[in-house]
Amino acid sequence: MKKITFCLFAILGITNFTLAQVSFTSQSIATTGQYSICAVDMNGDYLDDIVSVSATNIQIFYQNLDGTFAETNITTTPADYLPSWSIAAGDLTGNGHNDLLYGGGSGVTFMIANGDGTAYTEVSGPEFVFSQRSNFVDINNDGHLDAFVCHDVAPNVYYINDGLGNLTFNQGGIGDYPSGGHYGSLWVDYNNDGDIDMFMAKCGGEPARRTNQLFKNNGDGTFTNVAVEAGLDDLIQTWSAAVGDFDNDGHMDMLVGASSFADGGHKLMRNNGDGTFSDVTAGSGFDIFNGTSVEHATYDFNNDGYLDIFGNSNSVFINNGDFTFTLVAVPFSGAAVGDFNNDGSLDTFRNGTIFYNTGNANNWITINTQGVQSNLNGIGARIEVYSALGTQIRDVRSGEGFKYMSSLNTHFGIGLDTQIDQIIIRWPSGIVDVIENPQINASFLAIEGEHILGTNDQTISTVSLFPNPTNDQLNINYKGALIGSIATIYDVSGRSIHSEIIKDNSINVKNLSAGTYFLNLNVEGKSTTLRFIKK
Amino acid sequence: MKKTASPILVFIIFLFFSCSSDNYVEDPIEEIPEVSPVNFDITAVPYATLSEYNFYQGAMSNLNPVYGVVPYDLITPLFTDYAHKKRFIWMPNNVKANYVSDSEIFNFPIGTMIIKNFYYDNVQPNNETKILETRVLIKKSDGWVFAEYIWNEDQTEAVLDMTGRNVPIAWTQNGETKSVNYRIPSQFECLTCHKSAGLKIPIGPKPQNINTNFDYTEGPKNQLTKWEEMGYLDSNYPSSITTTVKWDDPSQPLDLRMRSYFDSNCAHCHVTNGHCDYRPIRLSFNESSNPINLGICVEPQEDISLWLDVNPTHIIAPGDIENSVIYHRMNTTEDAIKMPLMGRSLVHEEAINLVVEWINSLPNTCQ
Repeated sequence: MKKITFCLFAILGITNFTLAQVSFTSQSIATTGQYSICAVDMNGDYLDDIVSVSATNIQIFYQNLDGTFAETNITTTPADYLPSWSIAAGDLTGNGHNDLLYGGGSGVTFMIANGDGTAYTEVSGPEFVFSQRSNFVDINNDGHLDAFVCHDVAPNVYYINDGLGNLTFNQGGIGDYPSGGHYGSLWVDYNNDGDIDMFMAKCGGEPARRTNQLFKNNGDGTFTNVAVEAGLDDLIQTWSAAVGDFDNDGHMDMLVGASSFADGGHKLMRNNGDGTFSDVTAGSGFDIFNGTSVEHATYDFNNDGYLDIFGNSNSVFINNGDFTFTLVAVPFSGAAVGDFNNDGSLDTFRNGTIFYNTGNANNWITINTQGVQSNLNGIGARIEVYSALGTQIRDVRSGEGFKYMSSLNTHFGIGLDTQIDQIIIRWPSGIVDVIENPQINASFLAIEGEHILGTNDQTISTVSLFPNPTNDQLNINYKGALIGSIATIYDVSGRSIHSEIIKDNSINVKNLSAGTYFLNLNVEGKSTTLRFIKK
Repeated sequence: MKKTASPILVFIIFLFFSCSSDNYVEDPIEEIPEVSPVNFDITAVPYATLSEYNFYQGAMSNLNPVYGVVPYDLITPLFTDYAHKKRFIWMPNNVKANYVSDSEIFNFPIGTMIIKNFYYDNVQPNNETKILETRVLIKKSDGWVFAEYIWNEDQTEAVLDMTGRNVPIAWTQNGETKSVNYRIPSQFECLTCHKSAGLKIPIGPKPQNINTNFDYTEGPKNQLTKWEEMGYLDSNYPSSITTTVKWDDPSQPLDLRMRSYFDSNCAHCHVTNGHCDYRPIRLSFNESSNPINLGICVEPQEDISLWLDVNPTHIIAPGDIENSVIYHRMNTTEDAIKMPLMGRSLVHEEAINLVVEWINSLPNTCQ
């Protein structure tokens, strides 16, 4: 669990002594709940709050603008199940007040917030669920947030939301091993195809039970396990993975963290960008780290523009940007992550203690997502930040690591860069927002469809492309006036690679290399984006 | 050895032959063994109701077994929130179990049924006995089948139900009223413990756990001997069996009591191919003589400090319960860290006394 390897310090510490390190100071906060493992904005002001729950009470410390907190206690009917195994937050009803999911050992309880967040209605299903990691995520991509719960001893379960918070229980289709072994569900668009996939960290029992899975979203509400093709079908005894783009190449990588070394150690996996992953553990620092953990998550704690990794071995692995990491001891062990004084450096919280990040001179931005067609939290959105140091990507995720619920605000450090060229947000709806040159060292509220590349305009919703896929020529089918409009082609990483004024309702794409692209059309003052494939 | 007949039946048979025939019949006991009236159709089990098996005679709630349904007991049982248990075993004619090893489940024949009734005495408010559930394990040609029967309020019938249920119950024991939201397991919970490499298995009936006397109606007798006499066990088992002890028998050595308790309460998961076999402890009686398997001076892999005021240094730290994970996990009802993780929602206070006494008795300290 907790062995800090001195040789690790020796080997990695010396070569990387110039790195921005992290340090924390602790401050107690008077949480009273048995479960003090949640820190997320609860009232729609995008300031991370501290949440502590017990059977009949939800205690919320609402963060004020000056970093102080205002305590509220909301009595609830007794929860049938308590968040012994995990807690998740998300806005099922879209009323601006986050709802909670308590993942218990024999069932799942939802606490649904009323219109002004002053009361919660308890909803507990009769189904037996031995909960592990839980998430809010729009599984069927209908714009309404659903809920997913890993089942330790049976097929996974999920709850489909009708948009009003009425949940329909489902079991089957996303991880169906009869005796379970499902511990950590990390929702991520691993193949950059615009829909949300899921990595399933597995543990315990026979090899078939504990082989990790990667569920590819087929785009029609079904999922296919592609772990073998992807190279992620490991037998590691794991309860969670840290999922993020560790080398800023535009593809989501993964640290599959070992909970036990009985069947292999930590595994650092680089996303090759073609649906496969390669093992880059050797020399990374994780190969010689002998601590185990059920918690693994990734955040940029030192704002240097590279995602760090932390677990529960009182350690943060500072990312050197080249798939090597430097271990730094920290005073907490598994925690919820957020910005609890709104200073742009990420803090942590667990059990009555806030660990404030002392910060550094690096610059940052926090993107607060507000879905319109998509779910209000913007969960499942892909955010890309372009600055001089490179491209950073994040997926907005409810349910990181194993147990905790962390901020839904999406935080990026940008090192010493003084400008962000562009932010691209790809919403679950397919809408793409592009924000040019946003203010840094500030939070940016991104409302779906408000920035340039919106597809939500009815008047141009009848545009289509043919043939698609195409070899040479892309024809635009549109009944209105098109000639003279501006067409811009973006690659999947959001970079503008070609722009022209339309002359004859077609665009020559002969010189594009094979792949997926987005064509943005600016027609009669409206904007629309269409996806096409160059063969 | 043939199955022996009950005295009443022998008498009836004797009368029958005495009255209806002049022929002298030599030793009718040997010629006409008694037939078990249990209703068993392997293609039809598990039945929808418990009564269909005809395990019991008279009022079903008396749990008075018919011939062939043999009561047995485990030397040290699993703790399930202080519920009492009555266990029975039944086998079809002409098949028997075989000994495998002291510490392994017998190799049971197809058609074996293992029956376990869970009940409380002095249930409030009426101070009566109440049976909550009967679990039946049935061995078919393709493996064991779970059948969970939940008793009705009238205690006249129990109905097959694999979905699990919570039953609030209060009872008195030793002058104290206790209550619990008793958990009747779903099929998934059954499988969590009753499995090896994913296959369904029984847990209790191992030679080491039953090699002791049982008070049968005809008097006390070793359970293995009884099973052999019933034709349920091949005689080819060793005369000497390494056997667990009663966990609450103060005349037994402390370490054997503790290891016996761990075997019954922990080893179904903490065993190779068990639910938690990736954790470094092995708590079967036959493996726990090794201190490392018990977790003595072994560092924990999982951080449980979130739930405690301390961060225990070892799974078991000799002489130091506060630094022993196992003590904290047994002494809590918090789902996330309690052990066993299923089957109890109360702390087994008497077992806490045992584990404290045992840890405090361990010599030396960890390096």
